[in-house]
Amino acid sequence: MAMNKTDTRRANSVILPMLAVAIVLALFFAYRRGGGGLHLHAPRLYVSARQLPYYAFCSFSRMTAAYILALAFSLVYGLLAARGAMWERVLIPAIDIAQSVPVVGFFPAAIFFFVALAHGSRFGVEMAAVFLIFTSQAWNMALGVYESVRTLPNDSLEALDAFGATGWLRLKRLLLPACVPKLVYNSILSWVAGWYYLIACEIIAVGPAHYELPGLGSYLMTAAEKGRTGEQVAGLLTLLAIIILMDVMVWQPLSIWAEKFRYEFAASGAPPPVAIGMLGALGAVGPVILRSVRAAFRPILRAIHGALATTRPFNAEEHPGLRRAWRIVRVGLMALLFFFAAYGAIKGTVALIRTLLQPWPAAVRQIPLATGASMLRMIAAYLITLAWTIPCAIAASESQIFARRMAPIAEILGSMPATALFPAIVMFMIRLTGGMNLASILLILTGMQWYVLFNLLAGVSQIPEDLKEAARSFGLSRMATWRTLTLPALLPSLLTGSITAWGGGWNALILSEYFVYRDTTYKVFGLGAMLDDATYQTGNGLMILLTLLSMVLVVIVLNRLLWRRLYNIATDRYRIDY
Amino acid sequence: MALLELKGICKSFPHAKGNLRVLEDLSFTVEEGEMVAVVGPSGCGKSTMLRIVNGLMQPTAGQVLYKGRQVDAINLECALVFQSFALMPWLSVKANIEIGLEARGLPPAEREKRAGVYIDKVGLDGFEEAYPRELSGGMKQRVGLARALAVEPRVLLMDEPFSALDALTAITLREELLDIWQAADMPVHNIIIVTHIIEEAVELADRILVLSSGPGRVVADLKVDLPRPRDRRKEGFNALTDKVFSLIEERA
Repeated sequence: MAMNKTDTRRANSVILPMLAVAIVLALFFAYRRGGGGLHLHAPRLYVSARQLPYYAFCSFSRMTAAYILALAFSLVYGLLAARGAMWERVLIPAIDIAQSVPVVGFFPAAIFFFVALAHGSRFGVEMAAVFLIFTSQAWNMALGVYESVRTLPNDSLEALDAFGATGWLRLKRLLLPACVPKLVYNSILSWVAGWYYLIACEIIAVGPAHYELPGLGSYLMTAAEKGRTGEQVAGLLTLLAIIILMDVMVWQPLSIWAEKFRYEFAASGAPPPVAIGMLGALGAVGPVILRSVRAAFRPILRAIHGALATTRPFNAEEHPGLRRAWRIVRVGLMALLFFFAAYGAIKGTVALIRTLLQPWPAAVRQIPLATGASMLRMIAAYLITLAWTIPCAIAASESQIFARRMAPIAEILGSMPATALFPAIVMFMIRLTGGMNLASILLILTGMQWYVLFNLLAGVSQIPEDLKEAARSFGLSRMATWRTLTLPALLPSLLTGSITAWGGGWNALILSEYFVYRDTTYKVFGLGAMLDDATYQTGNGLMILLTLLSMVLVVIVLNRLLWRRLYNIATDRYRIDY
Repeated sequence: MALLELKGICKSFPHAKGNLRVLEDLSFTVEEGEMVAVVGPSGCGKSTMLRIVNGLMQPTAGQVLYKGRQVDAINLECALVFQSFALMPWLSVKANIEIGLEARGLPPAEREKRAGVYIDKVGLDGFEEAYPRELSGGMKQRVGLARALAVEPRVLLMDEPFSALDALTAITLREELLDIWQAADMPVHNIIIVTHIIEEAVELADRILVLSSGPGRVVADLKVDLPRPRDRRKEGFNALTDKVFSLIEERA
């Protein structure tokens, strides 16, 4: 009986996301006007290092726009999800689905959608790019907000309730400050992810899609195609400079400032990171930025929170009419929202069925094989990742000096969007091997390896000092220490890293199996190439739908049946909580 | 010749404002067969001292002589019991106890036999396959004690072993420790126990070293002549407790 129950739940947990993805896709198709592939010929970019500041500005503006959207979204979404059981039950699984979907695969669909929406103007492409970056930034930030509010100690919530400090005051004095540390931390991660996808869609734009999307990615791609090494290097250096500047000017001061909002009492005795010199002075920037951000969001947040405040202080003199009027407005808004959702869902489903009723092309039969080929590439890249990251982590656990020297190097390399290196890697590998096969694995590797490395390094720093001392004190050999302490302690981090790495890998896969270089299309046999082919060459909606769905299916099945189980075992048995 | 001799031990750690001196010119000896308690206010470097004796840390200056030879690596004739228990959460009670035996190269059959003996000795029968997270604090420290005893060390080092436990559990475990210590088949010759609970020191030790804080050095070396079992309601017990207390208070 109990078995049955979990089985149905597991089946549901696969089918529901699939259905959701299908409907979202169908919505795109419903709004897609006209057929054919993506052929909108835009003037090729004129590449010159003198124009680099302009390209950098374009890319940076897209990032900023997407980030502001993601920040607003995550605050609203996270606070809503943390509000009550009903919201939580809908919103958290939705994020789970969104996270397991390879975002890059939806870029073409997003272009169709937004270009149609903007009546074919370039603004539509811009919106599609911003949307793609947004989807790579928003989920983890929203989860961060949700977790921060959910883990708030109950007594501090009760304290505010007891003083009648509800609504806006409660939001301002408790909920928002509580979100700051996780929000800052996740913002940093989101920017790293954002750069990756920004460059990716700029490369897609000049490569297969022929859209004009001036930016660092399209600049790097064009420079690589024209074989201008000097300009490529200049572009990479510009990107690196922006990333390092952002880190020094924004993220480091913000992180230091965010430390103030940590809720736990400092029991571990680890000193807070100390600001030094210029950084300390820049620490003053944090509050200023936050103040302006807060000013911008205040009206929205106030409205949302007011609408949802369930715990109102008892007020004997309150007018009952006002309350009733407010309730009517609220119900009206909900009904309107529901109507639009239902309309969209019906229209989407109709479009979905119409697409599926088209004659199925012969290529469909190759999807399983292509999936297998792509899986093999993913596994190869994953094994290479493990082969170098695990020894690195072990070395870091044995030598503080190694760990301290390696961390900043890894951080800079890891925050460099690997997609920026794609043109150079592909160019080099095609010259070397004449094909894409090896290049493809390398490209997937760049999308995987850092997740594993960073999670492992974080795991290393969390191995308790007393366990290390115990291992030394009892005279354990190096091998015995790895076996009894280091590897078991790192297992949960390894799994977290692997799950994220596979997510990143699927995205990289779509970019890495199909590459347009000097007007020649290089591709290998695989699911990613099939998707790209359908999108950019044949424009076959059915094939796009089927390849995307099979990719999502593989991702979700792997997540539910393999990774999540392993993760549960690891956190159950190998968590450090004695 | 003393079993253990500390000569002019200094230890300082790098710190934001210059070096933080934890121990300065710390010297004492431990004779064969003694149970020595080291007491002092928190932050006086007691735990650091214990780690230097074990060879986990090297002193900045001075030397530790064990049987007349300088300790410059982990001393495998010592075994350490941790305040935080320091049990591997993914290993069963038995596997945790076998860690030290495996490190000493004992064959599996021998390891199992020896672990069984000490599991029995600390009263953990029936919990061999349990994981640390399933045990209470007192049970966890029994595992920690069994793990240290199982390697049959000449010197047992205990770092605030009962400080993380509630008062009643601590009393029971102290009594059990004394029983094990006084048993005829006890391989341990010496115990050095670091604690900030003065009653614990008076109840257990043959000798009490009082350390001052910041930087730590020996300010008193008291012999405890009270007959065992020591009753904390007796006159002598309280007098000694008061004396140690005032010694610490003076220096703080």
